[in-house]
This record gives sequence, structure tokens and C-alpha cells, in this order.
Amino acid sequence: MAYPFNEDHEMIREAARGWLLDWHDGGKALERVSVSGVGVDLDAWAKFAGEQGFAGIAIEEAYGGAGLGALGRSVVMEEMGYALFSSPFFSTCCLAADLLTHFASEAVKKVYLPKIAAGEISVGVAYEGLSKYNETITGLSPYVLDAGHCDYVLACVASDNKFELYLVPSSHEGLVVTQLNTLDRSRNLCGVEFNQLALKDADYCGASDVVLFDQVLRIAQASLASEAIGGAQKCLDLVLDYTDQRVQFGRKISSYQAIKHRCADIFVDLQTSRSSAYMAANIADTSNLGQAHEAALIAIAWANDMYFKTAGETIQLHGGIGFTWDYPLHYYFKRARANRTLFITPQQAYIQLASVIGLDTGINIEAQSHGASQLVGGQI
Amino acid sequence: MSLRSDLKTWLEENLTGEFECLRWRGGPGDEDAYPELRQKWEQKLGVAGWIGVGLPEAFGGRGADLMEIVAFNEEYARQGGPGRAGHIGETLVAPTIIAFGSSEQQQRFLPNILNGTDFWCQGYSEPNAGSDLSNIKTKARLVNVDGQAEPSWVIDGQKIWTSLAHESDWIFVIARAVEGSKGRDGLVFLLVPLDQPGVEVRPIRQISGSSEFNEVYFSEAITASSNCLGEAGDGWKIAMALLGFERGTSTLGQQMMFRNELNEVIELANKNGASRDLELASRIAKAHAGLEIMRFNALRMLEGTQDGSLSNEAMISKIYWATWHRDLGELAMEVMGRSSEVLQDDAFNRLQKLFLFSRADTIYAGTNEIQRNIIAERALMMPREPRGND
Repeated sequence: MAYPFNEDHEMIREAARGWLLDWHDGGKALERVSVSGVGVDLDAWAKFAGEQGFAGIAIEEAYGGAGLGALGRSVVMEEMGYALFSSPFFSTCCLAADLLTHFASEAVKKVYLPKIAAGEISVGVAYEGLSKYNETITGLSPYVLDAGHCDYVLACVASDNKFELYLVPSSHEGLVVTQLNTLDRSRNLCGVEFNQLALKDADYCGASDVVLFDQVLRIAQASLASEAIGGAQKCLDLVLDYTDQRVQFGRKISSYQAIKHRCADIFVDLQTSRSSAYMAANIADTSNLGQAHEAALIAIAWANDMYFKTAGETIQLHGGIGFTWDYPLHYYFKRARANRTLFITPQQAYIQLASVIGLDTGINIEAQSHGASQLVGGQI
Repeated sequence: MSLRSDLKTWLEENLTGEFECLRWRGGPGDEDAYPELRQKWEQKLGVAGWIGVGLPEAFGGRGADLMEIVAFNEEYARQGGPGRAGHIGETLVAPTIIAFGSSEQQQRFLPNILNGTDFWCQGYSEPNAGSDLSNIKTKARLVNVDGQAEPSWVIDGQKIWTSLAHESDWIFVIARAVEGSKGRDGLVFLLVPLDQPGVEVRPIRQISGSSEFNEVYFSEAITASSNCLGEAGDGWKIAMALLGFERGTSTLGQQMMFRNELNEVIELANKNGASRDLELASRIAKAHAGLEIMRFNALRMLEGTQDGSLSNEAMISKIYWATWHRDLGELAMEVMGRSSEVLQDDAFNRLQKLFLFSRADTIYAGTNEIQRNIIAERALMMPREPRGND
């Protein structure tokens, strides 16, 4: 058993991989989701989350989860990344579950976490552009994952120097959800407008100061580093297969050093990204928020850079076939691209990390992290 | 008490007095600092049982596991422990003798490695056998010497890029033992004393102006037949196992010292304002990220290397740390800014040394290009490079 995993993790990995490979069906599922136009496979999600029990992987046992923490979750995220599974797992079981676990009252946790763990509800998280006005929530949250199909929206409303968290049924008439037509068609991304939604219609969960909120958001975001290593592993597997079959000038192209050395570089990037993702998850489970936040920034920057670079390189190494719609690489390329700017970018993560490790960048850390929370979506 | 806290206490009490000047010195690129005193320091480490903590207890080590070895090296670097003059003996020769030596050889050589009195160097590369290591031409023949009961190996040829040969007592040599043999066949792995008329060590002046590397000439140099590891013909197998140790845990101590160098860069950037250049700040942050990843790589990858074999993942270790370190050297110069060009008191400062010496990292112990071949062929199972003599 390779550090930092134990036998439980390996069992979960086997189970998730097998199920997801069936779902993937040699890439047919990716095209099916793409054609559907909704960026999610809800039937598959119901089975994966409910019957298979993966939704509760990281949630504490006291709330009906498996209690395998961020490290257990990273295993599932990695396998979902490999298959490019279209589901609200990241929104619901990473973002929403972590925010509720850290900031919600005990009473709220007892109601909602078990439902998330059982796969009974899905939650999209709106954490930018929302404020309180005359006892209502108002504003536009321009990029909310999974709002087009989820059962609840977790509204994170800026109020003084903190965020107040409210759960709102997504069917509420005070919400206008507009699904966005996206480059990456394997995802459901929406604009969500809160049209003076009365606070009394929302379920108040708790509050957090902006710095802690930002830290928890980063730690949840870091689970996308695991998705990245899964996706990049798939890209590498595809290129190793392809170059082993393609013959030019009378030789398999995999025998050319021009190809071998680039695959070796991908392998180095991929393995170091594995370390970054596993380290972030391991530290999230075993250390304080500050250390977990630092490790999260490392994983976000390192693995997102690697995934996009790897997906691009593997298209190049496939030659013309890599440029076609019929070959699955473009789905991974588009997911890798989207992940770079969905939240803070690798470059922003490095600048934040610079402050965390004691570099005097001249940027106020609190203002910076507040800014990051306000400006997610890469719109800076 | 853990190994880490024991070591911390011991260093606080012993890295003092005449050894105080060694603190933070002698690391990678700074190996010409206080060579004699650093050898004396090795003896102090040895007496206290701090050499070979990862070796099995039966062979005089402490049987520390990988996690403990990482913690040990980390703490040693954190306290400013001087660069380890005996690391080649400790991390390359000792595990190889444990794996392939006879019990007589183990009893003869291990104690002097563990007590810090014998220093070793590596006789692998030759002028025409660099990346193509199996092309070595140095010859060894077994002959009877007048007045001696046992025959001796007589060695003729030349080795090059031999680190620290000028400060060593012994050299391990791969040589061609079978006349007319080619490539990996017919090689022998010999342990050879350096202090003899048949051996000449000539320092090589490097890019840094200093001379860690040497040429070593053998003209009828002699070593006893009992100083042959394994059988004649086993040379390649043993040489490769040793390289496995080299790509595995042997460089952990060195890697842990990188933290001190990065801290120096961070301190300087805050002092001279380079930290406010966001491009430099993010490069420094990336270097920090890369170093944290290097530590986690070690925990993930380097377990289970007692026989020198490596997991697929571990094959990235050498190219990764070498490239990271070379990049740090370049970054350090940019952080220094204009002053990077200026020598104080006619000498390089630590960061200038780092910049120059780290150019060697991506060349020695298998160039980055050879590392990529190894990764492609052994980890990714891609076709082997064609050989000119195939």
C-alpha cells in the first residue's frame, strides 16, 4: 500500500474505477452528455451517489457518511476525473459539504449532511455577487456549478466582513437560473440571480469571516487537483496506446526520442501533481486550516497547470486524430481549460502562496483573500 | 523520544565549539568548505551512531524506516548540520555491500563507514563512457604477486567526474575483467584503496572555479582479490543496484538542505524588495510548492529500496530534484538582481555558488536526457533506444 493510502482507500478506488469505466463506455458517455446539453448525467449520478454510496465518502460518520475525509474523497475525484464523469459531486460533496461542515450550526448539519451523504439532495454553491437588502438576498452570482439541476442553492451572502450562508430550494420563484452555453459541455454552469428573495424563505445555516471562508473554499477547490490527475492519467494512457500503434518511417512512433521524452516529462508532471493532490488531502485531514490552505494553494496551482499542459501535449502527440471531435481528448482538454479559471487561477494561487510563506509582496493578505472570494470566475 | 528530537538535542550540544563554523556549510555546491574539519565531524556523528540510521540494526544501523529517515535528514538540515562528507560511503557503498558483499567484506568495510573514518568515491564514468556507461574500457586482471598468498586485481585505465576523490580513501570501480568482452558482460565491481603508487588523482577545475570532481588514473593499481564484490561478471548488476540507491534515498539529505537555500532566497527577496515584483514572488512561491512536493514524493515513492530497485514512480526522483535545484539557482540570481554579478572579497557567495554548481545536477548521476529514457522505457514501457552496436 503506497503512502498515504490504506486498504480502505484501495477498495474505494477499485469500486469507483470499475463502476465509472462501465459508465464511460469507451468514451460514448462523453458524447451522450455533450449532446444532452445539460452537462450532467442525473440517472448515473443517482446510482453513483445513492446505490453505490460515494456521495458520503468524506462526510463524518456522525452525519451518515463513510468518514474517509478529504483523502478518501480525493480517490473518488481522481477516478471521476479519469472517466470525466458528469455529476454534481464536486458542488455538493466538496464545496457545499465543506462549507456546511465548517460553518453551519449543529442543527442544520444534522438535517442536511445526512441527505447529502445518502445522495438524496444535490447543492450548488453561489458565493459571489450576493448581498443583503431589506431582509432579502439580492444580486447575481454569475458562475454557479450545477444550479441548473440541483435541489438547493447554498447562497453565501456578503454581510459586513463575513459571509452568511443560506440554503434555498432551487425551485424558489425568487431565483432566476440561466444555464450558460459552455466550451466544456461536460458540466452544468449557470448564472443565478437572486431577485429580492426574502430571508424568511431561506434556511439560515451559519456565518463565517471572509478569511476562514476563503480558506475552506480553497481546500474544497483543491479536490479538483485530484480530478486533474485522473484526467491527465487518461490523456497519458491514450497517448501511450496511440503512439504504440501508429507507424511512420517504418517504426512505431513511440520508439522516437522526440515522443518518449515528452511522455517522460508528462509522467514527471503527473507524478508530482499526484503528490500535490494527495498532500493537500492528507493535510486537510490531519492539520489545521492554515496548513491545509497552504497545501490547497499548492495543489490548485500545480495540478491545474499540469492538467492543461498535459491535455494540450497529448493532442499534439496524437497528430491530426487528436484534433477531431470523435476522439475523446478534446473533452479532457476543455475540462482542463475550464478548471484553470473556474475559481482562482494557478497564477493567483501562487501570489497568495507567496504571502502565506512570508514573502512581502506588498499586497494585504486579508484584502487579497476577500478579493479572491469576490472575484472568482477568473474575471479579474 | 523520536529520532528527530534526539538528533535536535544532540546537534544543539555538539555542533558547537570548533564545529560551530560548519553550521550551514558544506552543502551542495559548497563542498570545498572546511573539508578536513567536516571529515572530523563525520567521526563525531559516527561515534554518536548518527551514520547509517536507515541501515538494518544487524549491520550497525538503527533500522529507521523511510518516514524516520526523512525526518532525520530534515532536522539535520534545519539545524544547519554541515554537508555530509561521508554520504557516498553511507548511502551508496554501505547498502551495496550489505546487498552483495560477503560477511567478511561486510565486517571489514561497514564499521569504518559507520564510524566516519573511511571516505569513498565512485569510479564509474570514463572519457568515453558517460551516458553509455557500459562502454567502459578500464581493465582489471587477476594476477599472482610475488610474496603474496592470494592473487591481486591489477587495474589499468581512467575514470572521470569522480566526486571528492581527492578527499577519499577508497574508490569503487567497475572494470572490464574479461578480455574482449563488450557492454554489460565481463565487468567486475572492485573496491580499491586510493593511497597507492598506481593511482593518480587530478582535480578538474569546474565552472564554479572549485574542484569537487576529479580524473582518476590507474596504472597497474592493485587491490586484493578479496576486495571484489560478487563474482567477476557481476559488475553490471551490482553497479545498477548502486545506481538505484543513488536515485532513491541517498540524495534525501541533500534535498532537505535545499530548504535552507530557498529560505535564504526568501529572506533576500524581502530584504531587497524583489518580493514586490509579482513575477519573482510567484516564481519563489512555485519553488516552495515544488519543494513541498519533493518531500511528499519521497514519502510516496522511496519506500522499499533495500535492494536498490525502484518503483515506476520513483524513477522521476532524480530528474525532478535536479531540475528543481537548477531552477532555484537561476531564480536566486534574479532575486539578487544587479548584485548577482558582483563578487565580495574575491569569492562567490552561497547563492552564486548554488547558481553555478547546480548546472552539474542535471548532468551527473544520469543526465536529464538519460533519466527521460529510463522513465520512458522502464516506467512507461516504451521501446528501447536503438544501439549503434545492436
